[in-house]
Amino acid sequence: MKRTGSKLIGMAAAGLLAVSAFSTVVYAAEGFSSEYERFLDTAYLLSDAEQDEITELLDELSERQKMDVTIATVNNLDGYSSIEACADDLYDYCNFGYGPDRDGLMFVISMEEREWHISTCGYGITAFTDAGIQYVGGQMLDSLADGDYAQAFRTYAACCDDLIDQARAGHPFDEGDAPRKAMSPMVPLICIVIGVVLGVAVVQGMKAQLKSVRKERAAANYVRPGSMNLTGKQDLFLYSHVDRVKKETKSSSGGGGGSSTHTSSSGTKHGGGGGKF
Amino acid sequence: MGNVQEYKCPCCGGAIHFDSAIQKMKCPFCDTEFEMEALQGYDEALNQEQSDEMVWDTSAGSEWGEGETNGLRTYQCQSCGGEIVGDESMAASACPYCGNPIVVTGQFSGALKPDFVIPFKLDKKAAKAGLMHHLSGKRLLPKVFKDQNHIDEIKGVYVPFWLFDTEADADIRYRATKVRTWSDKNYNYTETSYFMAGRSGSIGFTRVPVDGSTKMEDDLMESIEPFDFKEAVPFQTAYLAGYMADKYDVSAEESIARANERVKRSTEDNFKSTVTGYTSVTTEQSSVRLHDGSAKYALYPVWILNTTWNGKQYRFAMNGQNGKFVGDLPLDKKAAQTWTIGLSAVFAAAAYGVSWLLWLARII
Repeated sequence: MKRTGSKLIGMAAAGLLAVSAFSTVVYAAEGFSSEYERFLDTAYLLSDAEQDEITELLDELSERQKMDVTIATVNNLDGYSSIEACADDLYDYCNFGYGPDRDGLMFVISMEEREWHISTCGYGITAFTDAGIQYVGGQMLDSLADGDYAQAFRTYAACCDDLIDQARAGHPFDEGDAPRKAMSPMVPLICIVIGVVLGVAVVQGMKAQLKSVRKERAAANYVRPGSMNLTGKQDLFLYSHVDRVKKETKSSSGGGGGSSTHTSSSGTKHGGGGGKF
Repeated sequence: MGNVQEYKCPCCGGAIHFDSAIQKMKCPFCDTEFEMEALQGYDEALNQEQSDEMVWDTSAGSEWGEGETNGLRTYQCQSCGGEIVGDESMAASACPYCGNPIVVTGQFSGALKPDFVIPFKLDKKAAKAGLMHHLSGKRLLPKVFKDQNHIDEIKGVYVPFWLFDTEADADIRYRATKVRTWSDKNYNYTETSYFMAGRSGSIGFTRVPVDGSTKMEDDLMESIEPFDFKEAVPFQTAYLAGYMADKYDVSAEESIARANERVKRSTEDNFKSTVTGYTSVTTEQSSVRLHDGSAKYALYPVWILNTTWNGKQYRFAMNGQNGKFVGDLPLDKKAAQTWTIGLSAVFAAAAYGVSWLLWLARII
C-alpha cells in the first residue's frame, strides 16, 4: 500500500509540476493545506489554457465555499483494485481538505477503465449524498462520453457550487431532489382519452335514462314463496387449467437516501460514488 | 370384448381416450387430463338429460252471465282499428292507443268474462304527476317535448292479462369455475378448475302475467310490472265505469310461450343460487317440466298516454296500482353532442390536473 501510495504521489507531483509551470497562483489560504493543484490532469486530457481555466475555477470555488473541490484524471488505476480506493488515496495523500475534518471532495476519472468516481470527505460527505453524487455524475455524463472533458469539469464545478450552497442552507441534495424530467407528452394524450371515455360514458348514462321500456327477463316476482325444493345436488370436479404469467421484474430502489461511507487505506472516513462513462 | 366406452371431452367436446402413460383420460384435441370418475359422472349426467315439458290447462275466463253485458258497449277506433270496451256512460271519445276518435259500434258481445280485476287505485291526477316526474331530470330530453305534451289525454285502460300458475320440476346442469391465484418469484399463476354442478328439484309459480292485447306492446306491459294480485277482486262490470277496457285478442294458448320462457329462466336462476362457493356459474343445460299448470283471465289497471313527436309515436304507461311509470323518450341529439364534448373536456382537464398533482408528488 505504501508503495502504491508513493507512486500516486509521484503521479500527483508530476501533474502538479505540469500544471504549476503555467499556474503561478499559489494559495496559502487559511484552513487549506494546499500542496497540490486542485486540478491534477495526469492523463493530459485538457489543453494548457483549459487546465488553467479549470484550476482557477476550482480555486475560486474552493476558497469561496471553504471546501476543496478537486479533480484528478488518471490513465489507469495502476494497481488499485477499485477507483474508489484510488480516489480516496489521491485525496488523502494530496492532503486535500479544509479544516480539521478535511472538508472537500475529489472527482477522479480513469481513462482505461472509463470509470468516474467522486470521493467525499468531512463536510463533503454531508453535502454530497449518494444521490447527490449520482446527480453530479449524471450532469457530466454526456460531456464525458463525448470526450469534452473541459465542459464536463465546468459542469462539475457548477454542480458542486450548487450542491454545497444547498447543503449549507440546511438541505443537502438527496433522493427525490433531482430535477424532474418533464411530464411525458403521453400524459395529456392519455388524459384526453380518459376525458372522452368518461364523457361518453356519462352521456350514455343520461341516454339510458330516456329508456325505461324493457322486457322482463324472468318471473322472479311470481315464484311462490317457499315453493322451491331442492331434491338433487351433485358437484363434480371435471378438470383444471393452470396459466402462468411471467412477473415483471422491478428493480428495487435503494434505502432512504443519505451518504454511505467507508474508511480509506489511510484511515480517513470517505463517502463517494461513481459510475461508467 | 367389452364395450368400448367413448367419452366426450367436457372442455372441447372431442372424443377422449385413456392415456396409458399418465394413467388418466386425456383429450387428444385440447390436452386436458381428466380423472376417470369425473368423466363417468359427467357422462351419466349427460345421459340423464330430459327435454322441457310444458303443458298447461288454459281454460281461463268464464262465460258471461245473462244480462251482465247489457251496460257494456264496444267502441272502435276509425284510425287504428282498436276495439275497446266501455260502459255506456263512457265519456272518453279518443282511442287510448292512437288518440284518434272512437265510435260506438254496438252492444258488447262475445269474448270471455274476466276472472279477476285489479281496480284502479291511482287517479288521473296521480297519472299526470307521474308523467311530469317521468319527464323531469332528464337532460337529454328535448325541451319542447315536455311543453308539447297533451297531458290531459292520459287515459285509464283495463288491460287484459293471462295469469299462469304452475309447478315446475327441474333438472339443471351448471358449469362452474373456481379460480385460485398464487405466485412465486418469477411467475403469477392462475388455476381455473371446472366443475359440473347438477341441481334438481321443484318450484312453484303463481300468476305469471302475459299481456293478452296486441294493441299493448308486451315489453311496455312487462315494464310496469309487478301488479299486486292481493288487491284483485272477482270481476264485475261495475269496475269498468269511467274507464276503458281492452278485449283480449291473443288467446291464452298463444300467450303460453312467453310464460314458459320466463318460468324457465326463473327456475334456472333460482336453482343457480344454490350453486355456491364458485367464482362463476353458468347454466349449461336445463330441463324444466311443468305440471298442474292453469291460466286465469284478469284485467289490470294501466294509465296510458300517446304522443306523436317529430313523426314518431311515444307511448307512456303507468301501473294504475303502484304508480310505476315507463315510456321511452326522444333524444335531443344536439344536447347529447354538447354534453359529450363539454363533459369530455371537463374530465380531460380533471384527469390532467390529477396527473399533474401526481407528478408533483412524484407518484408518476
